[in-house]
Amino acid sequence: MSSTTWPFRNPGQLLTTLASFVSVRVRRWARKRQGADPKSTRLRPGRVYILPTAVGFVFGIMTFAMLLGSMNYNNNLSFVLTFLLVGIGLVSMHQCQRTLVGLELSFAGVEPVFAGQSVQFRIAATNHSRNTRHAIRLYCEHGFSEVHDLARGESRVFFLQVPTDRRGWVRLERFGVNTLFPFELFRSWAWLHMDLKALVYPRPADQAPLPPPTQAARGHRQHDARGEEDFAGLRRYHEGDSPRHVAWKAYARTGQLLAKQFAGADTSSQWFDFRAVPAPDVETRLSILTRWIVDADRRSEDYGLRLPSAEFPPTHGDKQRRQTLEALALFDLEQSDG
Amino acid sequence: MAKRYGTDGSLLLTLPWTLAALSVALSAHVPFLPIWISTAFFACAAVRYVVERRRMRLPSPWVRMVLAVICFAGVWTTYGTISGVGPGSALLAIMAALKLLETRRRRDQFVLLFIAIFLVMASLLRDQFLWSLPYLVAAMVLIMTAWLRMSAADQVPARRSFLTSGRLLAYALPLAIAMWVFFPRLSAPFWSVPIDTSRGSTGLSDTMSPGDISKLSMSDAVAFRVRFSSDVPPPRERYWRGIVLNRFNGREWFGGEPRSDPHVENRIVYSGDPVDYEITLEPTSQRWLLALELPFETSIKQSFMTPENLLIRMLPVDQRIAYRVTSYTEFRSDEEISRLSRRWNLELPDSGNRRTRELARTMRAEAEGEQDFIRAVLNRFNKEDYYYTLEPPPLGLNPVDQFLFDTQQGFCEHYASAFVVMMRAAGIPARVVVGYQGGELNPLGGHMVVRQSDAHAWSEVWLEGEGWIRVDPTAAVAPERVEFGISEALFSGIGQSWGFAAPSRLIYQLEMAIDLANATWDEWVLGYGPEAQQRLMRWLGMDNPGWRNMLLTLIGIVAAMVALLSYLLYRRYKPPRRDRAAMLYRRFVRKTGMSPDTGETPVAFAKRVTGHARVSAQSVANVTSAYLDARYGPDGDAALPRLKEAVAKVS
Repeated sequence: MSSTTWPFRNPGQLLTTLASFVSVRVRRWARKRQGADPKSTRLRPGRVYILPTAVGFVFGIMTFAMLLGSMNYNNNLSFVLTFLLVGIGLVSMHQCQRTLVGLELSFAGVEPVFAGQSVQFRIAATNHSRNTRHAIRLYCEHGFSEVHDLARGESRVFFLQVPTDRRGWVRLERFGVNTLFPFELFRSWAWLHMDLKALVYPRPADQAPLPPPTQAARGHRQHDARGEEDFAGLRRYHEGDSPRHVAWKAYARTGQLLAKQFAGADTSSQWFDFRAVPAPDVETRLSILTRWIVDADRRSEDYGLRLPSAEFPPTHGDKQRRQTLEALALFDLEQSDG
Repeated sequence: MAKRYGTDGSLLLTLPWTLAALSVALSAHVPFLPIWISTAFFACAAVRYVVERRRMRLPSPWVRMVLAVICFAGVWTTYGTISGVGPGSALLAIMAALKLLETRRRRDQFVLLFIAIFLVMASLLRDQFLWSLPYLVAAMVLIMTAWLRMSAADQVPARRSFLTSGRLLAYALPLAIAMWVFFPRLSAPFWSVPIDTSRGSTGLSDTMSPGDISKLSMSDAVAFRVRFSSDVPPPRERYWRGIVLNRFNGREWFGGEPRSDPHVENRIVYSGDPVDYEITLEPTSQRWLLALELPFETSIKQSFMTPENLLIRMLPVDQRIAYRVTSYTEFRSDEEISRLSRRWNLELPDSGNRRTRELARTMRAEAEGEQDFIRAVLNRFNKEDYYYTLEPPPLGLNPVDQFLFDTQQGFCEHYASAFVVMMRAAGIPARVVVGYQGGELNPLGGHMVVRQSDAHAWSEVWLEGEGWIRVDPTAAVAPERVEFGISEALFSGIGQSWGFAAPSRLIYQLEMAIDLANATWDEWVLGYGPEAQQRLMRWLGMDNPGWRNMLLTLIGIVAAMVALLSYLLYRRYKPPRRDRAAMLYRRFVRKTGMSPDTGETPVAFAKRVTGHARVSAQSVANVTSAYLDARYGPDGDAALPRLKEAVAKVS
């Protein structure tokens, strides 16, 4: 026999490969037949799928064994029990599917996050029917939401967490909703393709140099020997901060390294310039810029951002923060991702 | 990190239900299980609950392993086998108890509930009483509730789970009934396994040894029920033929191996009016069937008549069966018998019971003919001091001699045995017949009940030109035994002097009513077999459908019912009628000039509107409360006019 290399070391691996191949195919097929979903979708019967669970299989085998026993002994009462179990199986199959049919799922928003955090997609499930829908759970490839019962007329927001590692858009092309109600014998589920996306800001650099003061600010600080009035507060010490700014008294008191912050009327016009960031590569620069913006925003300072492609004049507030961080998130990505 | 084998109280919501389901499933077995197994199970259940309650630790795998070995060894030494319902249910109980001790996660309880279902099944294989059906349904409601608790969210109250499982079972029940009625029944099992090896058969035995301790039971258990479609024969003709014992070893009587007789039509001449009836026979684990003397034809398949005029089935009666028989109480059987058969029925052991033989020979010599001799023997039983009693003294080496000359006390077996021995000694072919005699008519149901206590033994002698003739020597001693049944025979004598009175009328009627319920239950539910199913199908217009057509019918009916179920569930989850309430509310929303966000409840929207829009806070509150009532209130339609009015007033 020739020694052809069989790519699967054991039957289990073959099965896993086969199962994942089938499931990829099935998902692609479902996507194709369902098409893209609007942001608010009510589940039609044709798109709620159902399969028995492992418990359901055991239940089926047990029922079959009991049927054989009843037939062998021609025992009419154990026939009753067996057929009651068959009936329970049939009922729970239909109940399971009907629990999802007619459920409305709508996108209820998502907040941008920094790379490394998890995006939380909010999806509202609304039960328009007159009866409770039990044990509803949403899921995506990254995990499950909590399980909840939806009372009649109830609308409840479920959270789907998607981990991020890079800036830019993170997409949730597909998520699912399923239920095991009533007896976990069957799992019915539906896939939704709403093409949801969330913005991921660059990860704020842990160790960022102090933002380069603008001309005006530097000039101000130079004759700041007495400068107690300009002292604005303390912030965590970052490597690169001048030792002159370390709050040694506070260090003696608390054991924490803190840097003094100075504020003046003219620091409000500080500019964060992409080209002036002391870092070698683009991502690190974006990271440092993000840190500066986050810190400045926390202190409610005015700041402007100057990128090669865009410029945001100095101001403060949520809008400025959002716009500048968005620009950083999508820096050089705009062409590839709408 | 959690402690090893530690518990955290997370099972407290489900464990009581699982324990209740298991306990109910096991309770039907408690009377049959050795006491240590029931004790072990309930102790484990209690321990497990306390452990969860107090967040204690479960026993380590070593302890559980040792417990398991001890328990399985215990079952083995108690039963000596592991097949059959007794050991099977014992093993299930042990498994449930041990599994309880290692159940930590909620989903481990699936195994326990599967065991509970098997226990219910096993109890049904053991016994099927009238209350077994309600018991089965109640146990299933409990088991399915526990099941639902296991998979439900934490916040669901137990009452809700109970109602939900009740609702789902109510859906499943009609499906189960349809499948039960139409599922094709087999007339023979695939493989024959005794259901319960621990239970001795209570019916007739195929041996008889009158000398030993009295085995005749006074058991009230029903042997069979009879429903006559023609006139009920009088008590003295109610001889239910069971088996023939024709081999005697001086102490014990045996029957022969039954074989089919191809010449049965030529041997027997029937006359008089036929008696038509249906017998519902309780399981006997034996192959013979009871019938009124003498059966002419029977509805039961795979049965035959032997040369001894016995009705034999190919397979033992392991389940209750019903069959129809036509009998003639007047008949002549075997006017000619072969030399072999003659010798066979004259055979006595070479030695023993010498006095009896001598007596028989003397009496035969004194008598004028065979008939005269028989009468003389019966007269001896009647005239001399012979007593009918169910508790005769045990007999020694020569039981017939001792009975005839010394003790002179006995019941039907003693008389039949002694009579046949005397006949054989005098050269008259004779044999012992065992069966039932009598039967009590239930005035409510119109059927006859024959109980184990009606078991009887009598004799048959073969006379030249007459064939086999039934002679009941017991009738010579205690004619009331034959005329009125065994309880009369006993109570009329000793009973009254001991203070037994006849049962009061009320108790009697109650007993009859219970018997009627049992008879109906046996006939319609437990006795529903291939024949009854064929009758039903004929009534439905399908003449003799094969199992294939039966299955197709079954599938069709179940599919239709499932479609109906699907529609019911669709109705259940249909949105409220495309509703006026929503339309009116939209009109209100338009008037406010704002729009609710996704997922924003009417209350939240009202709060937002009150702050911003130009409409009055009062009118917003009116609309919102009327809308909530109309949409989600108990009587939605009644709130619609109020909503309409409130919306109209918004400006």
